[in-house]
Amino acid sequence: MTDWPSAFEAELLRLGVQPARARRLADDTSQQAAETATAPGEVFGPAHLYARHLVAELSAPVAASPRTKFEAGPVLLSLTGVSKRYRRQTVFTGVDLTVRGGEVAAIVGANGCGKSTLLRICAGLTRPSGGTVKRTRRVGFVPQDGGTAGWLTAEEHFTLFGAAAGMVPGRAQSTGVHLATRLAWRPAAQRVQHMSGGTRQKLNLVLGELHAPDLLLLDEPYQGFDQGTYVDFWQQVFAWRDAGRAVVVVTHLLHDLQNVDHVLDLGER
Amino acid sequence: MTTLVVATLSAREVGRRWAALALVIALPFWFYLVRRDATGQSMRMLTLGIGWAISTLTLFVVNASRSVDPRLRLTGASVLSIIGGRLLAMTGVGVALAAGYWALTWVDQDVLHPWAAALMMLVSAVVAAPLGSLIGALLPRELEGALALFSVVAVQMLADPAGLTAKLMPFWSAREIGTYAVDGGSLDMVGHGLAHAGVTWLICAGGTWAVFQWRLRLARYPEP
Repeated sequence: MTDWPSAFEAELLRLGVQPARARRLADDTSQQAAETATAPGEVFGPAHLYARHLVAELSAPVAASPRTKFEAGPVLLSLTGVSKRYRRQTVFTGVDLTVRGGEVAAIVGANGCGKSTLLRICAGLTRPSGGTVKRTRRVGFVPQDGGTAGWLTAEEHFTLFGAAAGMVPGRAQSTGVHLATRLAWRPAAQRVQHMSGGTRQKLNLVLGELHAPDLLLLDEPYQGFDQGTYVDFWQQVFAWRDAGRAVVVVTHLLHDLQNVDHVLDLGER
Repeated sequence: MTTLVVATLSAREVGRRWAALALVIALPFWFYLVRRDATGQSMRMLTLGIGWAISTLTLFVVNASRSVDPRLRLTGASVLSIIGGRLLAMTGVGVALAAGYWALTWVDQDVLHPWAAALMMLVSAVVAAPLGSLIGALLPRELEGALALFSVVAVQMLADPAGLTAKLMPFWSAREIGTYAVDGGSLDMVGHGLAHAGVTWLICAGGTWAVFQWRLRLARYPEP
């Protein structure tokens, strides 16, 4: 019997996916399954069906979004022909993306293709080499890792980031604790350096949302989450969307894509 | 308000690093102890030790905040409030350290002008915070920054105090005030020392602000 990743890759090739890309998708999928210590077949179902589903998701036009319950709001992020170059090396070029309030966009692609760089460009932390970026002023950014101070507690982070946003300490802390409960987390008087990776990421998420931004930029924010928190996270993303916010998520978990409104594939490097 | 919050939390952060704090407190003491028998030498070494300890501590605090600062900027904090808060905290730690060591020397040494000795240590601590901050801004990695600070202090220690090289070093001010405190002489020395400290502080604090203003700049995008 052929093993699942090989069958998956073979089906991708049969569906016209380029060999290198098929190999990467197979590797990514195997890695995702390995992270949950489960066989790929149990997570994704039959290899040939998941391959077809994935190809359909990656090539789906914007209009094919399954969500029709809420009307999209005003444009909160617009990228037109955005490119990034480091010296002579082009990271990506000609990126277009428009995200409205009430929409979720996912940025996918191979390691090193510039997903995080693009998100930093959206945030304004990195300047694009070319193209036009327009975005709403109130933006929340959640990095893939870091972004917190190891010797401070969660509540002290709420105070710090609240102060940066012009909030008084009491309000910042109560807001932070309230947002944390949505992720099934009750902040304790524990320093960040003693927190698990998942709890640290929950803190990162809360800090990104503390000042109620219109646009949330999330860079693989679920690292270290257990299954329950992972589900809570996506429910939270959809709650933000339904509240009229725009969310851009960098992800490598391809099965997340079925519920988002836009998929931007930066492809192979 | 952001400045005060950053200052409070930076001080709290440093206060929790017991091992680092103990080493920072001990560093000037070893400098002092080695030449305890000679008042002038021990006072100058102690003062240089305070400067080195506080500048190194500031360097590490600045580097440890590297991943937090861009997020604070994005959330709405100004560059001035971020670096100002941190400088305020580290200067406070430095002043406390200087006060403690001045009390020690007041008891343990026979100094001609104790108030000038206090000023010497205070100046060293106040100049050290922006110096460490500037080096941290210019050299993002801790090892490189620590080695740069080591070089500065070594040159300061070895250079002829009357020569141009010593005057171009950041802690010359403390040394000049220290000479008046221990050996006496013209009060102009204190004035020269304070002027040197003021200029050094402005260069280091201004340099830190300029580097961080550039590093933490945000792209200004139009609204859609």
